[in-house]
Amino acid sequence: MQTKGTTRQQAIQQQIAWAAPTLGLVLLLLLPAFARYNDYVLQVFTHALLLATLALAWNILGVSGSISLGHAAFFGAGAYTSALLSLDLGISPWATIPLGGVLAAGIAAIMGLFCLRLRGAYFALATLAFVEIPKVITDNWDGLTRGSLGLVGLPGLPSLQLGSYHFDLSASLVGSYYFVLAYGLVLLGLVTFVFRSNLGLALQAIREEEVAAEAVGIQVQRYRLLSLLLSAFFSGITGACYGHLIRYLEPGLVYGLHFSAIPMIFAICGGRFTILGPALAALVLYPVDQFIFHPLLPAGHEFLYGAVIILAILFMPSGVWGQVRKAHFVSIKTGSVE
Amino acid sequence: MLNKGDSVVLCKRLWTIVGLLTIILCCTNTATLAATIKIGEINPLSGRLAKQGVEIHQGVAVAVAEVNEAGGLDGQQVEIISRDDQSQPDVAISRAEELCGWKKVLALTGGYVDSLVGPISEVAKKYQIPYVASASLQKELTQRDNPYFFRVSTLQGFVEPLCSMLAEQVHPQRLAILHAATPGSTEFARDLKRCLQSRNSPVMLMEKFRPGTPDFTPLIGKLANMNIEVIISGGFFADHLLLLRQLKENRVSPKAYIGPFGIAYQSFIGEMSDDAEYLYSTCAWNPGITNPGTEAASKDFVERFRSIFHREPNTTNMHGYTSTRAVLAAMQNVLQQEKPLTGPNIRQSLAELDLDLPMERVAFDKHGDPRHYQHLVVQIQKGKFEVVYPPERSTASAIYPMPRWGQRK
Amino acid sequence: MWTTVFVSGITLGSFYTLVALGFALIFGVTHTFNLAHGELIVLAGYVAYWLWKTYGVSFLFTFPAAVLVALTVCLLLQRLFSRLKEPLELNSIVMSFGVAILLQNGMLFFFSGDYRLIRVPTFNQGLHFKTLYLSYGQLTLLALSLVVIGLLYLLMRHTYLGKALRATIQDREAAALAGINVSGMGLLAFAIGAILIGLAGPLYGSVHYLYPAAGLQATLLAITITIFSGVGRIRGLILGGWILGFAESGAVVLLGASWRELVGAVMLITLLALRPQGILEREK
Repeated sequence: MQTKGTTRQQAIQQQIAWAAPTLGLVLLLLLPAFARYNDYVLQVFTHALLLATLALAWNILGVSGSISLGHAAFFGAGAYTSALLSLDLGISPWATIPLGGVLAAGIAAIMGLFCLRLRGAYFALATLAFVEIPKVITDNWDGLTRGSLGLVGLPGLPSLQLGSYHFDLSASLVGSYYFVLAYGLVLLGLVTFVFRSNLGLALQAIREEEVAAEAVGIQVQRYRLLSLLLSAFFSGITGACYGHLIRYLEPGLVYGLHFSAIPMIFAICGGRFTILGPALAALVLYPVDQFIFHPLLPAGHEFLYGAVIILAILFMPSGVWGQVRKAHFVSIKTGSVE
Repeated sequence: MLNKGDSVVLCKRLWTIVGLLTIILCCTNTATLAATIKIGEINPLSGRLAKQGVEIHQGVAVAVAEVNEAGGLDGQQVEIISRDDQSQPDVAISRAEELCGWKKVLALTGGYVDSLVGPISEVAKKYQIPYVASASLQKELTQRDNPYFFRVSTLQGFVEPLCSMLAEQVHPQRLAILHAATPGSTEFARDLKRCLQSRNSPVMLMEKFRPGTPDFTPLIGKLANMNIEVIISGGFFADHLLLLRQLKENRVSPKAYIGPFGIAYQSFIGEMSDDAEYLYSTCAWNPGITNPGTEAASKDFVERFRSIFHREPNTTNMHGYTSTRAVLAAMQNVLQQEKPLTGPNIRQSLAELDLDLPMERVAFDKHGDPRHYQHLVVQIQKGKFEVVYPPERSTASAIYPMPRWGQRK
Repeated sequence: MWTTVFVSGITLGSFYTLVALGFALIFGVTHTFNLAHGELIVLAGYVAYWLWKTYGVSFLFTFPAAVLVALTVCLLLQRLFSRLKEPLELNSIVMSFGVAILLQNGMLFFFSGDYRLIRVPTFNQGLHFKTLYLSYGQLTLLALSLVVIGLLYLLMRHTYLGKALRATIQDREAAALAGINVSGMGLLAFAIGAILIGLAGPLYGSVHYLYPAAGLQATLLAITITIFSGVGRIRGLILGGWILGFAESGAVVLLGASWRELVGAVMLITLLALRPQGILEREK
């Protein structure tokens, strides 16, 4: 990797690695100006951003090499907690949204108790089955959650007063859009921080070689639990935001397989071991699905997700962004880029 | 590992995507200008509720065709802008935003199931555009001080006639309510139970199952063990198919089987043939059953529907038609009073509306709920739906108890 | 009532075993998890439904067509699975999850999201044994499941191919050393698995109902039973199927129909928690 050719190539990759996200960010910031007359476009991107935050949160666990098929448990728990607290007790969503994250982390702790001893495929299967537990409980605990009736009329996000600026977050689509974008950027910053901290390094070490990591004194279980809790916390917050944006919840909706599958698909296609990959995949794939495939194939348009994940796992296991960033991801195990 | 060529390709692809997105943004921004009265319609035309959504859409189309054939509203043609919410609430919101904020429709109609109607009603309120929902049931939806939300159906229209018939005529001692784990079905079961209990009719068992439950046998064992006389199942089309078949397989013969949702369709009889006999359901309208005094209008609707879609209309089609007729009538009234067609004016006119239509006499209460939406209790007899309750509209007397499975041919 | 639970548990349980067999065999031989298993069964069911509904093909004759379709799809799948890189188990989960989404959307496109049911008129009659009542539907389910399981058992125990398959399941390296074509065995496992799927499909469409998303439940069932029994134990699979069948029926009677979904999930998590090293390790 020290030859001249590769340094030049590295330089190009480095350029892409900087140019693409910057360009993306500029486009995202300016989108409401383009889309002022088309709320549909704005709505699609708001939802894409929300899914991007879910994928980012999923990847906090994903970077340790574990694949979860059960993040709908956290998403749903967060959505329900925040919705019920704000609906029944009249607490402001600003307070209930983080509480949704806390409960999601609590559920993750219970999940961790049973599932964290498992590795690889068995962990994935256990998480897939685990979603049923909060789902069935939510569906049957009529007194607390109103069960299958669902929750109607959730309060929207309250408006924000910053100096003389007044941000209306629920009444205007532009407001919701910038709110989700801001949350996404904050989460991106946090994920970057986590990945570069000791926790992130430990998780990457666990992924590469768990036994070796343990041998050099990394407390594998503790770090895995920590990453699961963090991942669940932010998934719960995303779920809570979803509830206040849609203003309607139903157990089958928020605990559905959809919200387990989607972050996994985005993370793997975008690049599981990168910071930006999952979010970029969400911002590209979801709009492509909505703008191109849905009009062509109203029934069955989500085959796109199935197809991309098969292609990714067969031909690009490190994901698209993983390929671009490869120059920077020196494998710990071999000490070089493969 | 990537080589130089690959990065260039990647770079190019990135730009292609950006280019494509820009094109999409530009294309969707070109608005059409036409001097028509625009009404928006949002239905689940794809996804899990596509069947019902398309049926509502057809009803809406018939109502618009009817008014345009008659010369439009005050000489202006009515244009219906249809949008598909894909059976997903988040998409429903974006379609509503698009119709209200960008397409500038004057009113909204359509909508199937509360999970999709609810979000649309919120957007309608925000833009002060009246929304008359075609099929929405839950009580909570109209209890939220939304002056712009109206609907032509309500759960009470199902619950009250059933409850009265059971309490007045059947007097079952052992009654079970089964319901699907969906909001509408759950609330139906709850309200019916409350109503029956208030009229001293005991409910022995209330059970919830997931739509798509693959096996009812253990549940049937429970019913047989409790010697249940009357089964009320709030499930849908397929749930009835499976539950009835397994009842028959297990030789469990209730005295009555009542399914308010999904039975009163000709297609159900087609699917079940003889096993559909004696089942009870409820029905707001069908080609043979109409609001007294509207026979001619009903026949008109059936003929127009046939000439467009080449089949018999059903009650879901009628819901779409009725809600659209309500919107059109309210607009007509606004125009007659020579007021401008604005959201608040149409809303005011809707609140005062009183219109006789085949499905119901359309008039709304202060919450936007229909005052006169009442189902009739029907029983399938010799492959036809016969009205058995209320007495003043019955076309045949109820066969109760229904013959045991073993005693049928 | 408990006789109903018993009958329901046994018939359902036997059917569950049939559902799980193909999954367990493919997993045992190739060490890949096929999460699209349930979707394949539903697809085979749709093929039978389509033949029955549009061409009036009698129920019995839909089986060959269903098997044929399952065989084609499974052999294509095998090509995909054989290209996977390590870690095989985890990658196979991710990829077959993609296949499941693909199949679900394909079925949604071709058959719409409506619930479908194959109606077999004779299934409505039945036999009485004192208080016990068995419908022909339940009998067919029971008999067909048990016969297929029995045949597979004979195949695995008493033929050369079966022995080779078992050897591969027990130890791939040793089997390869003994001259067994391990990748050929993988192909064979997929072929037999496809036949089992093709048989389960029409049955699924006639006793349960078909809708594009129905596959996940069948997949979870198959995983639970496979993990319960460990690899390469047909008798264990039957026991697992029956226990799950009883547990589900019992839960409906004792707790209510809405708690049913929890049974399989809790059973799977408990089994996994008790055997965290996975089920293959035990064989070594």
